[in-house]
Amino acid sequence: MLSTASRQKQSSAGARADPIEIENVGKVFRTRLGTVEVEALRDVSFSVSPGQFVSFVGPSGCGKSTLLKLIGGLIEPSCGRITVGGVDVKGPRRDIGMMFQTPVLFPWRTVLENVLLPIEVFGFDRRSAIERARYILRLVGLEEREHAYPYELSGGMQQRAALSRVLIIDPQIILMDEPFGAIDEFTRERLNLELLRIWEERGQTIIFVTHSIVEAVFLADRVVVMGTAPGCVLSVVDVPLPRPRSIELMKSPDFAGIVFGVREYLGVAR
Amino acid sequence: MQRARNGSGISPSQRIYRLVQNRPGIILSPLSLGLLLVLWELVSRAELVAPIILPPPTRVWDGLVILFTAPWFAQHVWLTTAETLSGFAIGGVGAILLGIAMVNMPLFKEVVYPYVVAFQVMPKVVLAPIFITWFGLGIESKIVMAIAISFFPVVINTVVGLESVEENAMLLMRSLVASRQQIFWKLAWPAALPSIFAGLKTSLTLALIGALVAEFVTANEGLGTLIITFSFELKVYLVFAVIIVVSVLGLALYGIMEYLDRKVVFWRRSHFTG
Repeated sequence: MLSTASRQKQSSAGARADPIEIENVGKVFRTRLGTVEVEALRDVSFSVSPGQFVSFVGPSGCGKSTLLKLIGGLIEPSCGRITVGGVDVKGPRRDIGMMFQTPVLFPWRTVLENVLLPIEVFGFDRRSAIERARYILRLVGLEEREHAYPYELSGGMQQRAALSRVLIIDPQIILMDEPFGAIDEFTRERLNLELLRIWEERGQTIIFVTHSIVEAVFLADRVVVMGTAPGCVLSVVDVPLPRPRSIELMKSPDFAGIVFGVREYLGVAR
Repeated sequence: MQRARNGSGISPSQRIYRLVQNRPGIILSPLSLGLLLVLWELVSRAELVAPIILPPPTRVWDGLVILFTAPWFAQHVWLTTAETLSGFAIGGVGAILLGIAMVNMPLFKEVVYPYVVAFQVMPKVVLAPIFITWFGLGIESKIVMAIAISFFPVVINTVVGLESVEENAMLLMRSLVASRQQIFWKLAWPAALPSIFAGLKTSLTLALIGALVAEFVTANEGLGTLIITFSFELKVYLVFAVIIVVSVLGLALYGIMEYLDRKVVFWRRSHFTG
């Protein structure tokens, strides 16, 4: 509780962040001819307060990526409503940053050029953004590699570059789709800690999709537990653990209890 | 100290020995060529095959010397090169533009694509006589033939390249609210370049074939004309000499494309990271 209060004091993005409301959202995918329908999500409702770190956890096919794309405005819901700051999501917004399971770095651009891509797309002055890009690369520990091409980097470094590309636009909301899912355990833990550190400084709203229960609980203020066929919210579990969080936290009985709780909800789905 | 200055401390001959030991192909492959030439020379000299049909390599060398000392030869080389490069340039640019148009206008693509495929499978050499009839005996008909034969690989590779943009990269650009132009220039176009360059490489070699075939049919000048003329005159050693020149020309053109490919599409061997 105390840590939450202190975090909000520091946060700048959190202060201007908008709440996210998801009301009775459903999504049905149709094939082009409309013959086959797949119900990806049914009757999903929950809300995310400004500056909150929320994890979506669930088995493959529970529609967590679909839900992320819906919030990001990349696809439209078949029914229900999604609002950010009280405004209906009608399409992608430039104050929402997205990170994917793969780094999606453009191989013909150096790290620095990749980080500057959003600046170019937004039509901002590239030159004045370079200092900020360098600052962010320092923040994620890539300052030495700004002129490297993506294929010269390890998987972990590539995702750091991808994270920098999100941070350069200083989004109020970051949507992350299993961003470290393809990275080895050790690197992943380090990246998670760095992500928390950055978030505690800026206080963005983060929605983090993962299939790792431990990761979900470790990072988040709340864990949205999802089930399959069709995708739905089984439960929303609060994680009232102190911040800043360290790896030692995983040893605590409180942590283990919450992880077990989430696991039980997922067990019900089977 | 002296050892250190000597680098790794092995003599040049030792170094060569090691290189050969590790990569025997470096010696064996030129050696086999040498053997083949000697064998060829012997077969021809012993008149196992009539030298007029299969001239010995030394005679072919004489032919090369004759060609390169003749004042008229450069003109023929230049003409065929010019036909090839003009055809390739016009065909390549046109093909890329058509490919871009097809990808951006689905209906247009639906209408045009069957024709592209039909022309692709047709052996374009059958068009050479018609092109001569339409465009005359001069350089124009050769350029048109070079265009026709080099056009389609580039069209298809452009379409395939532009359409194979990775889905997440597309989602990224959309999440940034990028305009269509931005998506094209910052993502689709560079992402398609490896495929387009692969098409261009094939098509430059094809353009040379197109120019030569058109020259075979009817022409007053060019390397293809020389081959036909020397064949009629039964100067087979000169035919061989021209064939060598044509091969070297093809190799040089391909080498230039390969170089450009490596410079422009330097990331080819890397995949889209994710």
